[in-house]
Amino acid sequence: MSELETLKNELKELNTEYTKIKTLPQEERGEFGRRMNLRKQEIMQRIKQAELAEIDASLTAIDVTAPCAPNNNIPSVKLGSKHPLMTELDRVIKIYSSMGFDVMESYQLDDEFHMFDSLNFHKGHPARDGYDTFRTAEGFIPPAHTSTMQHRALKKYRSRLEQGGQIAVVIPGRVFRNEDVDATHEHTFYQCEGVFVSENANMGQLFGVLKHFFESYYDQELKIKTQPGYFPFTEPSAELLIEKPSSLGGKGDGWLEMMGCGMIHPNVLKMAGIDSTKYHGFAWGGGIDRLVILKYGLNDIRYFESGKLDFLEKFL
Amino acid sequence: MKISLNKIKQYVQVPSDVSDEELIKLIGSRLVEVEEVIDLAPKYRGSYIVKVVSCDAIPETHLHLCQIDAGEKSSQFNQLDNGLIQVVCGAPNVHAGMLAVWITPGSIVPTTYGHENFRLSVRKLRGYESNGMLAGADELDFDNEHKSIAEIDSKIAKPGDELAKIFNLNDLILDVENKSLTHRPDCFGLIGFAREVAGILGVEFVEPPVFSLERFSQPLASTIKPQLNLKVEIMESQLCPRYTCAVFDLPNNTPSKYLTKEAVFLAKSGMRSIDPIVDLTNILMLETGQPLHAFDYDKLVAVGDSKTPKIIIRAAMAEEEIQLLDGKTISCIKDDILITSNNVPVALAGAMGGKNTEVDASTKRIVLESATFSLYNLRKTQMAHGIFSEAITRFTKGQPAAITNPVLVEAINRLKAEPLVVVDNWTVRDMENVVKITTQSINELLGTSYESSLIAKTLTNVGFRVKDYNETLEIIAPEWRTDIHLPEDIIEEIGRLLGYDNVPLSLPLRPFVEPEIDPMLQLKSALRTALSDNLRMHEVLTYSFVSRSLLEKAGQDPANSYEIVNSISPELQCFRQQISPSLIEKTRDNLKAGHTDFALYEVNQVASRADGLTDEGIPFTKAHLAIALVGDFYLMKANVLTLLRDLLKLDVSYAKMSPTSAKIYPYLEPGHSVDLFLGAHQIGSFGELRPSIAAQFKLSNTVSALELDLDQIVSAPETQDLGLTFSKFPAVERDLTLKVSHDLAFGRVLDSLHEFFDHQNLIYHIQPTSIYQPSLGSSTKNLSFHLDFSAPEKTLKTSEISDIMEGIKTKVSQVGAEIV
Repeated sequence: MSELETLKNELKELNTEYTKIKTLPQEERGEFGRRMNLRKQEIMQRIKQAELAEIDASLTAIDVTAPCAPNNNIPSVKLGSKHPLMTELDRVIKIYSSMGFDVMESYQLDDEFHMFDSLNFHKGHPARDGYDTFRTAEGFIPPAHTSTMQHRALKKYRSRLEQGGQIAVVIPGRVFRNEDVDATHEHTFYQCEGVFVSENANMGQLFGVLKHFFESYYDQELKIKTQPGYFPFTEPSAELLIEKPSSLGGKGDGWLEMMGCGMIHPNVLKMAGIDSTKYHGFAWGGGIDRLVILKYGLNDIRYFESGKLDFLEKFL
Repeated sequence: MKISLNKIKQYVQVPSDVSDEELIKLIGSRLVEVEEVIDLAPKYRGSYIVKVVSCDAIPETHLHLCQIDAGEKSSQFNQLDNGLIQVVCGAPNVHAGMLAVWITPGSIVPTTYGHENFRLSVRKLRGYESNGMLAGADELDFDNEHKSIAEIDSKIAKPGDELAKIFNLNDLILDVENKSLTHRPDCFGLIGFAREVAGILGVEFVEPPVFSLERFSQPLASTIKPQLNLKVEIMESQLCPRYTCAVFDLPNNTPSKYLTKEAVFLAKSGMRSIDPIVDLTNILMLETGQPLHAFDYDKLVAVGDSKTPKIIIRAAMAEEEIQLLDGKTISCIKDDILITSNNVPVALAGAMGGKNTEVDASTKRIVLESATFSLYNLRKTQMAHGIFSEAITRFTKGQPAAITNPVLVEAINRLKAEPLVVVDNWTVRDMENVVKITTQSINELLGTSYESSLIAKTLTNVGFRVKDYNETLEIIAPEWRTDIHLPEDIIEEIGRLLGYDNVPLSLPLRPFVEPEIDPMLQLKSALRTALSDNLRMHEVLTYSFVSRSLLEKAGQDPANSYEIVNSISPELQCFRQQISPSLIEKTRDNLKAGHTDFALYEVNQVASRADGLTDEGIPFTKAHLAIALVGDFYLMKANVLTLLRDLLKLDVSYAKMSPTSAKIYPYLEPGHSVDLFLGAHQIGSFGELRPSIAAQFKLSNTVSALELDLDQIVSAPETQDLGLTFSKFPAVERDLTLKVSHDLAFGRVLDSLHEFFDHQNLIYHIQPTSIYQPSLGSSTKNLSFHLDFSAPEKTLKTSEISDIMEGIKTKVSQVGAEIV
């Protein structure tokens, strides 16, 4: 007999017993009735619980290891994905933006003036060869570095200097180099440029800003060091290296070459109409692809522009 | 460029407490990126000088059975009874009495070191035991050709000597990155490189004789009385700022039969020994950075065919031909510079000598040239003829004209030659580079606090002449530093030589100003979140360069694309006009790879020649969003409207695709596509691909695409009307089915329902639920809607509801619909 049936019988018996009330003397009936009612309430309560327990018991256990119940459709949850390069670029921009840098985007077709002349590359100088630029039939250039926007950024914001302010801007963009593609080389990639100009900008601030950026980006304290570089548009110029962060398996020994940087060449400031005797600036530029490659240990750069869902679906 | 550290140490006194490792680190952080450090010592471990005591031909072979004496090393190997060691050798020049190089059994053949690592052993050759081998210069990695075994001059070595010790091979070779020295022609010479190392170490640099002051101040030409008639004429001075040359007799130019220290030094620097005069010019180039070239004087005079020999330096004529030393005949471009003998070309300046004046073993008299040419022209020469020699690499950095005389004098001195005539034609002189700068301005730009005495000493160490006028420095750059013009150039020297890593870090003080973010970047970011996170699409990036055939397949006119003239391949020849064609291609690839039911999108820039140029005179680049999805028009429509109306809050409308749009988006099927509008502006179009286009792309699924111009919507206001009015009173719900003619547009029926409700004071929603048409040929179809409506101020009465339903009936009958 189930618990519920037992309880129901008990209730029946109680009801039968209750009828005895009529046989009792008048003065005992009150006390008898209260006692009976209390017992009845208690049984009713237990019956309700037993009934609820019986509902749950009616359900049998399922195979939790299966993707669905027999004869049902397997449910599918579809998710979208964001391209890792764009996600990383967003993160880089957010950090600079939180440091007070304005953000403007680089053009994908530009001219010789912005790519070279405005950056103090002398006409026909071999330094131009190092950039392996593509050219259109009209002589336009899909730029080989985001520095192609420096002149525009300086002109756009130079009024701030006259108002006693500073120029602080970062410029992300897609750039191109005429390079054969293999697992570690791409002709199309992303860079982020930084430009800062003020009355007292100096090299110590340049390294300080970049150290701060990389420490925010990797969320740890990092050592930095430099090696000499040559860029016609900065003087002095340097290459910045950071200590390999622990999130990339660094143990305080390895170094990563991250970007070129330097004090903006006075000719570059002058060409943008900025008094180079009064104002100084620094600039830097680094690749975004490399940040992503390092982060995920990607062994083939060609996945980035492959459009392969097998690759993209990893970045939900 | 390969730099021998031993050679550097010959020029610089490296303090004893600075280890090689530390020195290389300093060079890497303050002069040039060191890509690789090659330790030569292990490569030559096991190579010894030996004497060939006996040498007997092995009958019926080209081999010789040799017994060698390895001095005190002999006892460590398999000795014969007479104490000698037996080696079989196949070289034609092996002979008794010679000193040779022996690679011992158990050692690696140097030329295979680091790759195949071929290890020698004791083995039998034609039945004879052979211990190790007698090595040729090629096996020792000093030469490329296998000619014979190396013979060693007994004046410099004895049996048992280590090869490495005699030839200075216990050395570290630094392979440095040339690019960061592009502006430093002086550092393309070992002396210049060493001078910088001295500067970095803070020690004085003692200039070797070649760069002593009088060599700069007193040209040799002014001290030699000509005994021969030779003239030099420079046609255009900017092509050749200075041409210095000397004529002298060459006693003997036969290559030495011995392996020379010069040949080994050249090999360490990545070059090869040719003959004594060429080796000398190459060694001087490696040391000083100044390339030299030797002509056979008699041939030069003969070629010119004139009684008055004259070297004329001039621009080449287009397609003028010259046969070069490597035997190839090239056709000149007009930017090439030619050295001519009475106008007959004898050398492609800076690049390579001509075959007609080649120096060989019979040469008696030479013209030695030490000159400097326009780096801009030579750069074009380099590109046009693909000549990337050590010489032209240096010339294209802009060798200073000042050093032609000192290096020529050095060559003459080392040859102990008597010049018969020296001509020095110096047409363009560099100005003396003087920079005035204060200590304060140096420290301000670097963020340092260096003393002026330290600054002066640092500069003096690398050849600058510094006058210190109480915090103002007057700095004269040395003759070889043509790159110094501005105060910033000096600041760079100081920052670099004293180490950027010693600059104290700081952060700029910034005013509290909210940064300005490009609204387009913000829009792109919002789109990516909406498309990936909400609509579950996949973001892709595809190349900005596409093939002509992709454009044609998508029906676009390739003439509207900016064409890349130096593209890597035809696949990447055209700058894309729209993104959709690339996405259609990727959709096809992913379908092929087994994926189903997906959507790809890309946000990027495009350009069309049809859009013309900006005010700046550069092509208009536009920001576009494109989507390609596997599905029909209606799936795309649901996604696009959700994206633009619900997620981006843009008040967009759409209409059947216009004939103009059909031309702009030729891959979309006009009958299955619409144009999108924001206000009066068309912002893009979407729809299914034309079947003919799908066929071209080999697509068997229905695929739809969207192309959207983001510039048009970047500044559009978001709609603020989210429909936030709710009634407190119960809503009436009704299902409505309307029977209409099969060709009546759904939109007309829906519009008429909206029109009806908009004229009532009601809060309402119309949700289409189904469209039913019994068969394709049926003359009517049923459109079903779920309606809910309520009055803002009261509960609707039954009679009012009947009136409303009656009103709907009347309204829709105007468009030919009847309630079922």
